[in-house]
Amino acid sequence: MQREESRTELGTIRIHKNVIASVASLAALEIDGVKRVGGNFRSGLMELIGKKALSIIHVEINKNEEVKLEIPLVIKYGFNIPDIASKVQENVRNNLEKMTNLSIKDININVQGIEKT
Amino acid sequence: MRTLGILFYTAVLVLIGILMFLFAVVFSFDRLQPQCIKYINDLLFYMQSSMNYRVILGLSGLLLILISFSFAQLILSRFQREKTIAFPTSSGEVTIALSAVEDLIRRLAGIIPEIKELRPDVIATKKGIIVDIRVVLKAEANIPELTSRLQEITRSKIQEVLGIEEQIIIKIHVAKIISLEERDRKRKETEKEEPTIPFSGYGRA
Repeated sequence: MQREESRTELGTIRIHKNVIASVASLAALEIDGVKRVGGNFRSGLMELIGKKALSIIHVEINKNEEVKLEIPLVIKYGFNIPDIASKVQENVRNNLEKMTNLSIKDININVQGIEKT
Repeated sequence: MRTLGILFYTAVLVLIGILMFLFAVVFSFDRLQPQCIKYINDLLFYMQSSMNYRVILGLSGLLLILISFSFAQLILSRFQREKTIAFPTSSGEVTIALSAVEDLIRRLAGIIPEIKELRPDVIATKKGIIVDIRVVLKAEANIPELTSRLQEITRSKIQEVLGIEEQIIIKIHVAKIISLEERDRKRKETEKEEPTIPFSGYGRA
């Protein structure tokens, strides 16, 4: 798995894609209206194996070191989806920029289902 | 590319079909002579003894498996990708699975008590969103009033939750009307089917 790398005077700092996925997952769950991260067949299979946010959220880092995320979500019944999706995008961007100093290009939200609270 | 994948699978299936058909014809006219079997046998023995043939055969098999897997994945991913509603935002794209919209509509059955069962099917087209709902109603329901109420609730709920301006076409199909007697009979049947625990009335000292 590719890692995001930055140089300091003392050496290099590498951030694994799994860390980016975990931060994104936790940030998404902070938003009221998000039931859970995941929801499709692939993520269900991954959860069954034991890989939680690591493989559910797709993280892509391009040559310009820009991060692109794809987050599958299940939304609680009764909430406005575009509103929740934009809140998730904003929170994920803020948290990732604050915690990792990465430049975020795209945060794509994929609503997979709606469940009752 | 998708067309190529479909063509590949069609060609493979047609080839298998032609082979089976030819075998059926050969068998029905008793054309399978011992010489033919001997020729096939010799060919197989020759292939077994030649290293080059074995390698070519194995590699061709692996290549065929890889090609069919990649085509299958391509076709399936295309089909999956089409089953969403997408809109761009400043931070990226938001896609909503049509199954999520179906989940949302299914929840509406709880709001209207006259609906016994509700099965939605959502299709996204260039014209807008087409919602096909199959419902099973209770006998006391006034169908024209109820269906128009269901259409209105579904439309407003989709617009409210998805926040889309596109046209929403809602088609309702009343599949069945359950009478009160039928409902009572079903309830009695389920009560009868419940197993009784022997000596359940006796308590232990």
